[in-house]
Amino acid sequence: GFYFRRLNSNGPNMSRRKEAIPAEESDQLTIKPLGAGQEVGRSCILLEFKGKKILLDMGIHPGLTGMDALPYIDTIEASEIDLLLISHFHLDHSGALPWFFAKTSFKGRCFMTHATKAVYRWLLSDYIKVSNISTEQNLYTEADLEASMLKIETLDFHEEKDVGGIRFRAYHAGHVLGAAMFMIEIAGVKILYTGDFSRQEDRHLCAAEIPAVRPDVLITESTYGTQIHEKREDRESRFTGMVHDIVTKGGRCLIPVFALGRAQELLLILDEYWGQHSELHDIPIYYASSLAKKCMSVYQTYVNAMNSRIQKQIAISNPFVFKHVSNLKGIDHFDDVGPCVIMASPGMMQSGLSRELFESWCTDPKNGVIIAGYCVEGTLAKHIQSEPDEIATMSGQRLPLKMRVANISFSAHTDYQQTSEFIRALQPRHVILVHGEANEMSRLKAALIREYETMPEVEITVYNPRNTTSVELTFRGEKAAKVMGSLAVHKPVEGEVLSGVLVKRNFNYHLLAPSDLATYTDIQVSQITQKLAVHYSGSVSTLHFLLLQLAGHVEKMDEVKSSFRVFDVIDLTVDKNMITVEWKGSPVNDMFADAVLVTILRAETLNEPSVKIDDYGAKFEWDKFKDSLVEMLRDMFGEAAVPKSVTKDDFYVTVDDKKAIIDFYNLKVTCEEDLTLQKILQTAVSRLYNSLAPISAIQM
Amino acid sequence: MTSIIKFQALSGCFDESPHCYLLEIDDFTILLDCGWDELFSVNLVDSLKQNINKIDAVLISYPDLLHLGALPYAVGKLGLNCPIYGTVPVHKMGQMFMYDWYLSRYDSEEFAIFDLDDVDKVFDRMTVLKYNQTIALKGKGYGITITPVPAGHMIGGTIWKIVKDGEEDIVYAVDYNHKKERHLGCCELEKVTRPSLLITDAYNMLYQQPRRSARDESLVVSILATLRSQGNVLLAVDTAGRVLEISNLLDNIWHNKEAGLFAYNIVLMSKVAHNVNEFAKSSIEWMSDRMVKSVDDARNNPFQFRSVKLCHSFEDLKKIPSPKVVLASMPDLECGFARDLFVMWCGQPNNSVIFTQRTSPGTLARYLVDNLGRVLSLQLDVRSRAPLAGKELDEYLQTKKQKASETMEYEESSEDEDEISGPVGHDIMVMEEPRRQGKKPHFPVFPFHEEKVKVDEYGEVVKHEDFLIVDGVEEAEKDISDAQEEPEEDMEIEEIPTKCMSQSKILKLNCNILYIDFEGRSDGPSIERLVFQVKPRRLIIVRGSQEACEKLSAGCQAENIWMPQKGDHINATIERHIYQLLLKDSILKDLMFKKCRESEVAWVTGQVVYDTGSTDIEKSDVAEAKKNQPHLDLVDYNLIPSHKTAFLNDIKLSDFKQILGKNGIPSEFIGGTLRCCGGNISLQRLETGKVSIEGTLSEDYFKVRDLLYEQYAII
Repeated sequence: GFYFRRLNSNGPNMSRRKEAIPAEESDQLTIKPLGAGQEVGRSCILLEFKGKKILLDMGIHPGLTGMDALPYIDTIEASEIDLLLISHFHLDHSGALPWFFAKTSFKGRCFMTHATKAVYRWLLSDYIKVSNISTEQNLYTEADLEASMLKIETLDFHEEKDVGGIRFRAYHAGHVLGAAMFMIEIAGVKILYTGDFSRQEDRHLCAAEIPAVRPDVLITESTYGTQIHEKREDRESRFTGMVHDIVTKGGRCLIPVFALGRAQELLLILDEYWGQHSELHDIPIYYASSLAKKCMSVYQTYVNAMNSRIQKQIAISNPFVFKHVSNLKGIDHFDDVGPCVIMASPGMMQSGLSRELFESWCTDPKNGVIIAGYCVEGTLAKHIQSEPDEIATMSGQRLPLKMRVANISFSAHTDYQQTSEFIRALQPRHVILVHGEANEMSRLKAALIREYETMPEVEITVYNPRNTTSVELTFRGEKAAKVMGSLAVHKPVEGEVLSGVLVKRNFNYHLLAPSDLATYTDIQVSQITQKLAVHYSGSVSTLHFLLLQLAGHVEKMDEVKSSFRVFDVIDLTVDKNMITVEWKGSPVNDMFADAVLVTILRAETLNEPSVKIDDYGAKFEWDKFKDSLVEMLRDMFGEAAVPKSVTKDDFYVTVDDKKAIIDFYNLKVTCEEDLTLQKILQTAVSRLYNSLAPISAIQM
Repeated sequence: MTSIIKFQALSGCFDESPHCYLLEIDDFTILLDCGWDELFSVNLVDSLKQNINKIDAVLISYPDLLHLGALPYAVGKLGLNCPIYGTVPVHKMGQMFMYDWYLSRYDSEEFAIFDLDDVDKVFDRMTVLKYNQTIALKGKGYGITITPVPAGHMIGGTIWKIVKDGEEDIVYAVDYNHKKERHLGCCELEKVTRPSLLITDAYNMLYQQPRRSARDESLVVSILATLRSQGNVLLAVDTAGRVLEISNLLDNIWHNKEAGLFAYNIVLMSKVAHNVNEFAKSSIEWMSDRMVKSVDDARNNPFQFRSVKLCHSFEDLKKIPSPKVVLASMPDLECGFARDLFVMWCGQPNNSVIFTQRTSPGTLARYLVDNLGRVLSLQLDVRSRAPLAGKELDEYLQTKKQKASETMEYEESSEDEDEISGPVGHDIMVMEEPRRQGKKPHFPVFPFHEEKVKVDEYGEVVKHEDFLIVDGVEEAEKDISDAQEEPEEDMEIEEIPTKCMSQSKILKLNCNILYIDFEGRSDGPSIERLVFQVKPRRLIIVRGSQEACEKLSAGCQAENIWMPQKGDHINATIERHIYQLLLKDSILKDLMFKKCRESEVAWVTGQVVYDTGSTDIEKSDVAEAKKNQPHLDLVDYNLIPSHKTAFLNDIKLSDFKQILGKNGIPSEFIGGTLRCCGGNISLQRLETGKVSIEGTLSEDYFKVRDLLYEQYAII
């Protein structure tokens, strides 16, 4: 072996250091909303930690069109994203995904649950069709959507995945079929992203789970801020009561809904209510969504993602086969003759069937509209909640608003009570609010802070970042290595020097001896033997002479075949006009080999040497070394540092009145007064020796 | 730190007995599978009984008898009282397997080894997991985590990864299938590298599979030939495992117009066919990508059969005109519809009986498979259950009355029990109920009638179910006997007692008997390759003939290989030196990591320090705890010992050939050496991790060497 070692900062070049720490070693966790920061819609949150970049959701803003609806993707480098997780199929969480795949350099992996993927396919296809009609600029095409299907990978709830050291798993989130919360773990730091969630079990979904592990950071939705939902029974009876009232008075009841998600829940309620009230059997319930019809098979297949009640029921009869609800293909197939209930999308009446029906019914006070979901600022559904006298139609006409307007929230989002309980159960140190309108969000932040004011023992910080504003948190990452195998045979002793291969994989460190690598890892230690043939027509003795000059010592391996070994590692065999040089590859050996090769080439050009000295070898001249050392030390510490009369047996240096003694033959420096000086001198002495002494004299 | 690991095979060693092994990690005992053969061998139960009290957890790999058959007995009769772990489909389908087994046995004999309550107890106790869901065991098992990994073979099939203290990894993989199938993905055994212990079987080691297309073709050809000669085909299949693959295949072939099978009928017949089908429909996420894609893209559930009809009794079956193909359980022909059909059909030369899997030695099916073409006649016990009539019935009623008057209290309590335990376990029978009582003749074709259930008001359904269950079971049983013995008698009273009859008959075997392998297990060459790839440090080989075990052991380069005899206690403890060391930032900052495969490596030298000086930002109590942990800190430069350069990684010459090609250096293989640059440079891989490069002194040599060096992490 040779001194092929790494420089450590205790060496003479102590000054270097403190340069920028590489991203993967940084302790800083950055969370930056690219969408859904102090707004609802276009969810997209960037996580950055230890050089890993993760995007959570890829939604579009329902109130905006074209490129404006996208999250602020242009502020990041899409090709650097390692992982993209989609929490559920709603457009404001998955709507920009085909665009992201097709139009950016993203090449990471993307995961969602099985049910989400199945619904996503049809939901976005529907969205493409709708936006084809309403706007001229389309973000992506059906072909882009299909291409994205090939790239999306699925994961089951509770299944643990690992993407380059990012470990994550999905928990049930309630909200809609397939909705997931993601627990992400990077280098021991755990982050829980809730997506949209609800802690209340409903007719077909289970409540959001409370993960058993405590996250360090909770990124939670805040749609409903500090509001508290009506009790499930109350809102159901208010809903059925109002529907009943409208239709029995001869009115038409419009329920604008988002095609998938809450619609299925409302249909289950209505179908059951109609079943119990035979007097209503003549009044039709229409569900105007071919999309929902398409996705029924998804609801029938992925029952494992629903609550246990449905799972039991589905084995007997499918609750999603409705008895009183009929499907309506479109407004052309609708015969508007009398009282009826229609559920139509879109849920916020931006355009489409629900808007058309609303415009034709809004002038009649007998009719009614029930807003059952969450409405984004700027949409018609939100506007009519303020009970205006007039509304503007799509064509710009103004119509008086006389129909009854009710807002019964079936939105499966968490409310203050649920959020507060959820946080109390998880006790995260940092809570980051996303997916909430600015006012709701700041109210929630204030309420949460107030809640923990009286509990100084609980350390909790709440953040409500705006889009493209980062929250930066510092986690002192613990870097522990497992020492295994022959290095670990005895317990570590204070001061013991350990040397081995540090293997880093997925933020785990193992310290192993090279010989143990194959046992504990999939890494193999290899050896490369090299054999070079060189033409040589010169004499063997010339070669020998030059080799001696080079290496100081040449070992004769075989007298007859004239083969030598130099530097202990390079074998030469001279055979006719050819020399074969053989050695085991390593940086040092390669260097020796290069030297030997040059020697061979030189020997060829030389004549027989005039002198023949068999034992000539480079000898180390201590006197010469002494002179060099004196010169070097004078350069370092000034003329006065080294006395003129030093001898090899009595060698000392005086620096700042401190005397350091150099034991010449052992290359040992002692200076009890100043250890730093001792260290500097020691390094200088050994380095000088290493550079002057012949290779054979240096311990290998 | 070293964990004591012991292994004991209770069954499944050097033969084909079912899987059942004890794995002890320190003082925690895990039962790996709890299978039983089709004939209820006493041996296994005896050894299970001896160890029953020390079992702390049970891990189940597949839902069939071979892997969980003895569970109802162990839980119900031996009082096994610990958590049982399995995947969601293993739970669902396992229950179906057990129901079918019990009901099929009950149909023909006095069966008291276990009952349906025992089955329910097992599955109530089971903790269900998803693939790759790691859970940590508690209590005595603290420090042990278990993870199910996909294994193929059957839906939910599992390779178990058992890890102690995050380092000691034990992998239990039996009966896996590395091939992708129609309905299942392949096993993920390849993803496991270098486990400290692998427990695997050698069952298929000496066996080589025919190609899938050839196998499918021979099935279709023989079915078609039989049907065209107006014969019936009996396919003996299992209840809820491999049957999914076969039924899905046949349903597709039936649908294919070119196959010409559309005109014939195909039936899936078992006591639980409807439920198995329903569960299959809602377990698509556990199946192959192809199945998932079919749902996602075409919204077409592949288990929504287009041609295959479901039957639950002979009454149902009678309504389906012949010639027909019947997929019936049990595959061993020891009981169930398959046995009854075999007795009925084996005499006619135009019928065919096709076996799709090898069952335990000693079973009728195995006897026929092992002696294909050699068995011309058989003496067989034809067993059936018939209702009591006449004198016998009177006697029964009298004794019952007597009993009732003697112990009123006892009666009551037992009735209560029925009410409590009934609904949980027998909910499958609810489905059969409406069909059986239905008045419309076409009902039996389809498993259940939706309207029937819906007529009832909500609230009341629960009670209704409870009520139905009891006679559901009874009727199901009676039904079969009806079909065989007294079809005209109409059962009305749920209380009617039954008795079992057995009659020895000589059967002439005139039908075609075939064996077509649909087992879906990896075969010999694949097992050998997989085990070689996994490179276990220690290996335990179970289940398989002596020859098969030895062949597998010969092909593996583990440090230790054991082939236990039954009851042998193997000590597979691995001395494990390990301790944790905190790495100081000062030392990490300086390291230059180099990429090597999935990892990054660096040479590090440091000094062990105990006193940290606690500059941590962490809370004080945490820092306090850390003080006693050793840290690795910078060491004086001069104390750093020199070290030999290590080349990490292992290359394949074929890969290197491509790299040379990318850099514009053409190369070719001549007799195992890779030559390039006009033959001036040659590379050879001598053994694992040893490569030699030879050449003449030239610029090319150094260019090639540099490329070669680039393949390694040199530290």
